[in-house]
Amino acid sequence: MSKPIQWLSDLNDAKKKAQEEHKYVLLDFFNPL
Amino acid sequence: MDAVSYPNAKVIDFFSKFLAPVRVLISSTPLPQQFKVKWTPTFVILDSQGEEHHRSVGFLPPEELIPSLTLGMAKTWFDHEQFSEALSHLDRLISEYPKSDVSPEAIYYRGVSRYKATNDAGALKEAYQKLHAEYKDSEWAKRASVYRLL
Repeated sequence: MSKPIQWLSDLNDAKKKAQEEHKYVLLDFFNPL
Repeated sequence: MDAVSYPNAKVIDFFSKFLAPVRVLISSTPLPQQFKVKWTPTFVILDSQGEEHHRSVGFLPPEELIPSLTLGMAKTWFDHEQFSEALSHLDRLISEYPKSDVSPEAIYYRGVSRYKATNDAGALKEAYQKLHAEYKDSEWAKRASVYRLL
């Protein structure tokens, strides 16, 4: 079984990770209902 | 997304390889307002500077989510005029997900990327020919139809 998606806590963390690891930032706007 | 697409093993692998993902509650502030998001799910691809390059609204099953996000990655490079990197994502999308809803758009952008990289107008004509032959009813075949004259 694969490890679930590792979501980051905020946009700044995502930008930092994207810069360091040559990745792309994804924002998933969601509604829990 | 939580019930179908996010538990999918291919989606998990794709996220791990390519993305720095953040979930944003639509009722939170300030990102929904900053990005003018009015409906969920909305997916937005940004570069590492936070600049937007692609968005998609509405549920996507795994076989559409991966190509849609791949297109966004390609458009990130395209917008920065890094065409060889854009082409590497577009080629992979087209070969691995030929039946995806975004494949026609990827073929269009592949033609434009090749043209901008080489100045060879034949790349645009080839894009039109492939779209006309394989995706005749797509909007991208219509958008490329002017290239038949090249």
